[in-house]
Amino acid sequence: MIGGRPTDAGEHPIETRIGQVLGIGTLIAVILLAVGSLALLAAGRSPLDPAPALDLGRLADDLARVQPAALLWLGLLLVVMTPAARVVAALVGYLGGGERGMAVVAVLILVVIAAGVAAGTIGA
Amino acid sequence: MAVGLLMLGGGLVAGVFGSLLGLGGGILIVPLLNLGFGLPLREAVGVSLICVIMTSGASAAVYLERDVANLRLGMLLELFTASGAVLGGAVAFLIDPRYLAALFAILLAYVAWTMLRSAARTSTAPTSMPTGDDGPPGALDPSGPSDAPGSPGEVTAVALAPVAPAAHDHPDGGFVDRLSRPGYHVRRLRLGAAIGVVAGILSALLGIGGGIVKVPMMNLLMDVPLRVATATSNLMVGITASTSAIVYLLRGGIDPFVAGPTAVGVFLGATLGSRTAHRVDLRLLRWLFVAVLLYTAFQMAQRAIAP
Repeated sequence: MIGGRPTDAGEHPIETRIGQVLGIGTLIAVILLAVGSLALLAAGRSPLDPAPALDLGRLADDLARVQPAALLWLGLLLVVMTPAARVVAALVGYLGGGERGMAVVAVLILVVIAAGVAAGTIGA
Repeated sequence: MAVGLLMLGGGLVAGVFGSLLGLGGGILIVPLLNLGFGLPLREAVGVSLICVIMTSGASAAVYLERDVANLRLGMLLELFTASGAVLGGAVAFLIDPRYLAALFAILLAYVAWTMLRSAARTSTAPTSMPTGDDGPPGALDPSGPSDAPGSPGEVTAVALAPVAPAAHDHPDGGFVDRLSRPGYHVRRLRLGAAIGVVAGILSALLGIGGGIVKVPMMNLLMDVPLRVATATSNLMVGITASTSAIVYLLRGGIDPFVAGPTAVGVFLGATLGSRTAHRVDLRLLRWLFVAVLLYTAFQMAQRAIAP
């Protein structure tokens, strides 16, 4: 199904590293969302029931108690943070390779993401 | 239990359809959740963004490892699509949902029209795709509905032809020169950046990947080959959608109970679709899908007029 050919990791180290970050991040997020969904259904709750709001202060405790909502929130946080993690991976790679232009682009993308956090927080 | 399984199943079907037809999940998930489960449109958009990020993340990983996506170009453009996404994410909470419904109805009608046009063009072509050598026609048509996060884990459309060896090393070239590769030279960057902002706004407002704008933009305006444009657009979807998803998430626009089963369903469906694409007669599927799109557009338009 897949055309093209896998490239040598040493040939394109940044692309390979970013691909790994995306692949692993997505896989863990899917697992968390799947386990959280199963836990939700097993508890006899409907997805249309009111869900608790995200509370980062309580997330660790709720995860320790295997609360479905906590598993789902962690999965969702991982989903939205994985693309940002790949920008950080790219930034590190470009800085290491001396590509200042692309490093600046990566920093600016992170600034825009931070603006998204600000826009969400201010409006919340 | 039943509702959860229906959401999982709905996501699965949306993922299969999206993967087979080269569409992202957003265009299907939003109407499914809004019209099918009665979720407010804004929350449906938030959940759709999550689905879009997940499907694009897995397939972008493959595109990158196979060096099909142009990382440098993608990162430069996503600076602008993400900026648009912040703007769109903020605006989405200010405007009347009826306008969003109207905008979505227009989008659905447009995609139906492009699919009809594409179907008419390829009506004489073989309809079963040759194994491994072709992909969803929608994803290969620059003017067609290529919202395409495509398929997690497997890449159906763009990584099929050999790509010219990447030139990551232009030691004497400038920043812009490094965006190009042997076989193509990137042009009209400023125009691409401006259109990228629009793509970001649309993505945030409607919960779509925005490939429907970005792929034609890169291919037709910036002279980027289609397979590279599709893969690069897919890569950009992650940052674009996650930036607006952050806004939605922090403003309470994403319901975790709905997002969980739906996103898992879309992910599984997209994986399944990518593995069965070569065995499916897309002609009938495409006509069926056009009918679904037009019906959904009508429903959305009705909701815009009389919510």
